[in-house]
Amino acid sequence: MLSYALRRIVIVVITLLAASVVVFAVLEIVPGDPARLMLGINATDDAVAALRQQMGLDQPLVLRYFAWIGGMLSGDFGRSYTYSVPVIDLIRERLVVSLPLALMALALSTAIAIPVGVFSAARRGTAADTGVMAATQLGIAIPNFWFAILLVYVFAIALRLVPAGGFPGWEAGIGKALAALILPAIALALPQAAILARVTRSALLDVLGEDYIRTARAKGLPARLVLRRHALRNALIPVLTILGLQFAFLLAGTIIIENVFYLPGLGRLGFQAITQRDLIVVESVVVLLVATVVIVNFLVDLAYAWADPRLRRR
Amino acid sequence: MAGELIATEHEDWRHFVGKALRNRSFMAGALITVLVVAVALVSFVWTPYDVTKLIIADRLQAPSGAHWFGTDHFGRDILSMIMVGSRNSIAVALIAVGIGIAIGVPLGTLAAAKRGALDEILMRASDIVFAFPALLSAVMITAIFGPGAVNAVIAIGIFNIPVFARVARGGALALWPREFVLAARASGKRAGLITVQHILPNIANLLVVQGTIQFSLGILAEAGLSYVGLGTQPPAPSWGRMLFEAQTMMAIAPHMAIVPGVAIIVTVLGLNLLGDGLRDVLDPRLRRQR
Amino acid sequence: MTDPVLEIENLSLSIGDHPILKDIDLTVRAGEVLGLVGESGSGKSMTAQSVMRLLPHAARTAGSIRFAGEEILAASEGRMCELRGDDIGMVFQEPMTALNPVKTIGEQVAEGIRFHRGLDRAEALDRASQMLDRVGLPESRFPLTRYPHELSGGQRQRVVIAIACALRPKLLIADEPTTALDVVLQAQILDLLRELVAEDDMGLILISHDLGVVADMADRITILRHGEVQEAGETATVLREQKHPYTRRLAEASTHVPIWANAQTPPDGEKRLLELDDVARHFPSHRTGLFRRGEPTRAVDGVSFSVRSGHSVALVGQSGCGKSTLARMILALDRPTAGTISFDGMETSALDEHALRPARRQMQVVFQDPYGSFDPRQKIGHSVAEPLHLMDKPLTRPERRERIAAAVEEVGMQPSDATKYPHEFSGGQRQRLAIARAIITRPKLVVADEPVSALDVSIRAQILDLFARLNDDLGLAFLFITHDLTVARAITHDVMVMDHGKIIESGRTGDVLDHPGHEVTRRLIAAAPDLQRAIQRRSAGVR
Repeated sequence: MLSYALRRIVIVVITLLAASVVVFAVLEIVPGDPARLMLGINATDDAVAALRQQMGLDQPLVLRYFAWIGGMLSGDFGRSYTYSVPVIDLIRERLVVSLPLALMALALSTAIAIPVGVFSAARRGTAADTGVMAATQLGIAIPNFWFAILLVYVFAIALRLVPAGGFPGWEAGIGKALAALILPAIALALPQAAILARVTRSALLDVLGEDYIRTARAKGLPARLVLRRHALRNALIPVLTILGLQFAFLLAGTIIIENVFYLPGLGRLGFQAITQRDLIVVESVVVLLVATVVIVNFLVDLAYAWADPRLRRR
Repeated sequence: MAGELIATEHEDWRHFVGKALRNRSFMAGALITVLVVAVALVSFVWTPYDVTKLIIADRLQAPSGAHWFGTDHFGRDILSMIMVGSRNSIAVALIAVGIGIAIGVPLGTLAAAKRGALDEILMRASDIVFAFPALLSAVMITAIFGPGAVNAVIAIGIFNIPVFARVARGGALALWPREFVLAARASGKRAGLITVQHILPNIANLLVVQGTIQFSLGILAEAGLSYVGLGTQPPAPSWGRMLFEAQTMMAIAPHMAIVPGVAIIVTVLGLNLLGDGLRDVLDPRLRRQR
Repeated sequence: MTDPVLEIENLSLSIGDHPILKDIDLTVRAGEVLGLVGESGSGKSMTAQSVMRLLPHAARTAGSIRFAGEEILAASEGRMCELRGDDIGMVFQEPMTALNPVKTIGEQVAEGIRFHRGLDRAEALDRASQMLDRVGLPESRFPLTRYPHELSGGQRQRVVIAIACALRPKLLIADEPTTALDVVLQAQILDLLRELVAEDDMGLILISHDLGVVADMADRITILRHGEVQEAGETATVLREQKHPYTRRLAEASTHVPIWANAQTPPDGEKRLLELDDVARHFPSHRTGLFRRGEPTRAVDGVSFSVRSGHSVALVGQSGCGKSTLARMILALDRPTAGTISFDGMETSALDEHALRPARRQMQVVFQDPYGSFDPRQKIGHSVAEPLHLMDKPLTRPERRERIAAAVEEVGMQPSDATKYPHEFSGGQRQRLAIARAIITRPKLVVADEPVSALDVSIRAQILDLFARLNDDLGLAFLFITHDLTVARAITHDVMVMDHGKIIESGRTGDVLDHPGHEVTRRLIAAAPDLQRAIQRRSAGVR
């Protein structure tokens, strides 16, 4: 088990390093000189050169990469070109919006999807199953930002139950902050729940066809007990895989939802930084999200080993 | 057993068609998909109104006999815009799937055939691509290299490559130890020839099904990119862009948002149903499980 | 005579419009073993599932199944749950998949005990431990916390039996319990079942396609075909008198020895076609740490032998002894870790794929599974012609067609079959076509890996005849890889016995099998079910 985890960690580190090289390389070949962009087109060449030196842009590529990575590891993400504040502060203040949003959406999606999937699998072939599956088909097809627009129209504009957008900040009170996040969370969660419910159902049905389910039935266990004690845990692996993917998606996929609701989240920060060519912010946001994805996948791998003893030895 | 299995090849094909005709998912999906593609094709030669003409006097009309789906804030006919916009959605998603298949499938089958270090490298590389949140990266790519349909295709296509590579590799890995492949090896056939003659025909099902899934995801992704202004550029109409413009008009002209949204949903739903139906019709393993 | 535990009367079953069972009658008494015999598709498993009421949803039953006087077909699902696992136990064919991979063996045995007896966890585990001890898995060597993947196939089947027998059921149904195991494990599992039946005074329904196994085990026998009972009665009487023609056919097929002209005098004896010199194949073991691995597994460990042209040789051994790995190396589908393999004067273990072509032309293969042997997406003709790829110059279309037709006819099929797809043929027909593929280049050696073990007995007899004829007519040399000694006896000149990667005994087939010199060989022979021997023993017992 320990060596399984250790080998996973090695892979995590290698993936992270490779991803950081890719991010760095892509942003290096971006047209446009950051120093020039910051100072505007009227700046003198001397001023630009001075700023380039100050930003370390005159250093060789490799050195700059290591300086950047080294800085990130020690918590120094550099300074934003446009906001002129440390990037770490920007990220921190955006993360308190995006992270709760992603977690809320994930919790909501799981809480809806798993019971629905189990319900549907247990009633395979019945009208209830067909109805639920048709609903999930529809759920998958709905673009979340369109759903978000509709939610805003119904709950914010027509019914005036919640604010239509913006974020008051946690200091305005937990109730108000949560009220601002609830619609975006629902918009993110429902299409994801549709996917997760389908995966849960089909994983369960696969497992229910296995020989050991028959063995359990032959012991005299009623069908619902077999489902709970034998099928669910074996169906967990595909469900965990999708859950891992969804967390990453929810954290990054907020980019469009945050635009709909004017939320000052990480996605919006990244989006604005891209359009303003604030490359240091872009790099940091992307690397942070990649790291999150990789670490979540690592946790999912560990969860696999917990769920399936056969994997512990490999 | 033997008696009922005797059938000519012709009847075998008919059997498949019969199976498809009886599969509700497949029929509904195929119908919707054909309809959407037909609408896109018709839009090349005819639309009810000219989408490039702005008639401010007709703006923000609700659906009516003259304008089935109403008009937008520039007085353009929304039905015509939906028709023209479907071309972009379909083209972007389809080419992105093409990129994924053209690069991903050879990589995946190669990895499965050679195993060892090459396999390991390709799979780790696909891990790295998967580590980038697809939508954010697509936004990054289009923003950096310039917004537009071409860059949207590339941005979506890149993330299709590891998807198809994985599907192809997984399918191929399950086939390589099979006895008919061993027999081909004992007949002196090289890995490349075996891949073409035995592996690809046997994973075609998987690829077709995955293709429809990625196609529908591509439609959603294109809509998302256009919505944030990075996909298809105005004045060319696109479903995502129409939604963006509708957002500010929500209170006075909700039809502007509802119509393109429904267009996206119907298209994606059709493709997903088609994919589900194809999987049932084509995959004998799943067929047996039912 | 005791009251019957189970009485089946006029049981009929259909799925949709297909009748599966027709008027089955069957009785089992306490302490009695009933053998239920039939070829695939005869309805044996469906009969068992009807008793358990674990049928597919679409199945419709009629007639009567009474368990200890109670009508099962009319019982509620709740009542069935009380009966299953408590009064009726069931053992399945495939031990590798019959256990839940994520639960420990202790939990899985204890689960039924807890459910039926309402015991707490510790008490149930205690009883599970006792039961596992009874089936030969003492807790000292097999802790209850083991997971199924940590056990071998035979050990897993013992766990499945422990689950089925944990509450001392009145009736045990064993559906092909040993078909997936080799003969030695089969004998051990059958012994275990016999013991449990005697100790607990259970009734046992033993379902099998193997007349030898049933003759050995069963007090009474019921023979099924196409869902109908052909003959039923005392095992000794039924099998000795063989009154019913189908019984006679089954019995003949299972002891079938082909007419084989070359049996005593192998042709062209002296030329060494295949030679192995100190061949070894090691596989890396599991990782034991981040960078460490354990000792490699020595699947094949220093094997030397030769096969002369025109000879038929059997390589026998228990599963896991390394015989299949060896076969793959001979076919140059895998390379030895050490040692050399020469074929027809070429050192094949050192050649690259291109240089191997002449050798491959002379050496073909037939696999065990007739369903996996053909690409489902290619016409049979395509697959059969595949080895023609090895010809030095490509054949013309008519030449190719002619070769395919000749090969297909050689194995008793029609040339028109070449335009069909694999799923249009039965298992036996496919195995014939697989042989057609193997002989299309007129090779000198065919390696056959368990070529008849997936086939019904009557088909199996036909395929053995075909092998004999091909040896007579074409002078083909055969290397049969098998755990089945009757195949070796029927169709080979020489036999080699393999154990733990080494060849431990070899010689003329008759000599080795009649006068085994090595303990492992003796064990294999003793374990092999033998219909004649079993009938004799039964008859002696009855008189």
